[in-house]
Amino acid sequence: MTDTKLEIGHELSSGGLTTTGTGSKVTKVLGVAALVAIGLQLLFGLYYSGPEVVQGEAVRLFYVHVPSVLTAYLGFGITLVASIIYLRKGSQFWDLVAGSAAEIAVLFCAFTLFTGAVWGKPTWGVYWQWDPRLTSTTVMFVMYLGYLAVRRLDLEPRVRSRRAAVLGIVSFLNVIIVHYSVDWWRGLHQQATFGVDTKLDGLMLFSFFLGLVAFTVVFAWLLIHRFRVSWLEHQLRLARLDEALVERRAEGTIDGTTGAIS
Amino acid sequence: MNGWNFVIVGYSFVFVGLGVYTAYIIRRGRTLSKQLPPERRRFLG
Amino acid sequence: MAEVDLTPEDRTETVRKGSRSPRNILIMSVICLALGFVLFQALTNARIFFLNVDEAVAQQSELGDKRFRMQGTVTTVPDTKDDGSLFFAVAFNGEQADVRHIGDAPSALFECNTPVVIEGRWIENTFESELITVKHSEEYEEANEERLEEAYKPVGSSC
Repeated sequence: MTDTKLEIGHELSSGGLTTTGTGSKVTKVLGVAALVAIGLQLLFGLYYSGPEVVQGEAVRLFYVHVPSVLTAYLGFGITLVASIIYLRKGSQFWDLVAGSAAEIAVLFCAFTLFTGAVWGKPTWGVYWQWDPRLTSTTVMFVMYLGYLAVRRLDLEPRVRSRRAAVLGIVSFLNVIIVHYSVDWWRGLHQQATFGVDTKLDGLMLFSFFLGLVAFTVVFAWLLIHRFRVSWLEHQLRLARLDEALVERRAEGTIDGTTGAIS
Repeated sequence: MNGWNFVIVGYSFVFVGLGVYTAYIIRRGRTLSKQLPPERRRFLG
Repeated sequence: MAEVDLTPEDRTETVRKGSRSPRNILIMSVICLALGFVLFQALTNARIFFLNVDEAVAQQSELGDKRFRMQGTVTTVPDTKDDGSLFFAVAFNGEQADVRHIGDAPSALFECNTPVVIEGRWIENTFESELITVKHSEEYEEANEERLEEAYKPVGSSC
């Protein structure tokens, strides 16, 4: 990485760095904020907000289901932007950001699918149906699993990163399809939560926003740590490469040959 | 109707899932940083 | 000191071999199979028509005994018969259809004035349903007995 790229990276992980682990002052502050936000989310989602007039207590799943999918969208959006920048500039930093964001987004996408199924049983009467919204979300989930799989293929690092970046851009089409699936096709799933007909009673709206804030802070905290793990993995690969080069140099010196080392 | 069972299952999956992933990332970061010399442990610059 | 050639080696061959390694093929096969399964299910289900009650009534002769999904709001109090079947009516856009449900019991939310999606076929002038799913709107109201009476009540409902 060049110095410029390192500076951009410094913004992501600003604050003091610990000698072991991936924590810093910034992550400590974010971590405490995330814990407080989750505590409030649980308090309002499970205690202060009341049951819904039709769904009863099951509505509480709304406060984790919708924030989960919006957080997944955020992660996939970061992957899209980082992938475009990677293809333009070829910087390792953006490749690692793209991969880190996608991994966390896939986790939140899994939460979305699971809580949706669990919410579906007491409301719709079925855990699952091949409805347009559910199907397109599953396609999105599988495609981003594919993206993560491509990042783990045995390929030359630059080739692998380029292929992953292309897939990271193409896969974002899924986010658009998922979002508009309830408008484009008829199905069982209700319309978009914040459409013209949306109505959320006071404390329900507050509990939902609390869930969204909590998951966004958790996402930011996880993204910094996950990026640093990827960065350390990258550094470890470079260190091993350096060691190998030193060994090759040493072999050349010991042999006393003047020719090239094969 | 009482949907508490479903609520507990859904919330448990999400927050246990988050906890497990967080623990994995933190542990992986510690393990990797121990394998690197101090000058390479700095994330940037 | 010996002269050392550090010219980067040609990785083309390595990459070509790498992309065809058994591990790579296995990973991509699993992902492609999963994606194929989901898309197959989606396309298979997309072939089942999804009609509103008024459309289903208008197209009754064309539909014949074809299986399809019908969307509407329950307009009569569901009546359970001795054989376990459930009788009720659904309406949409001013059209109404009689329904006989013979499948699994629906969600506990199923009742008069509930928007539903039912899957089945026309048997003469009655829609024979095998699956009832309850559709929820994007309105979320905190529980309140007075508002319960007005929730989802369509015009012309006898509930």
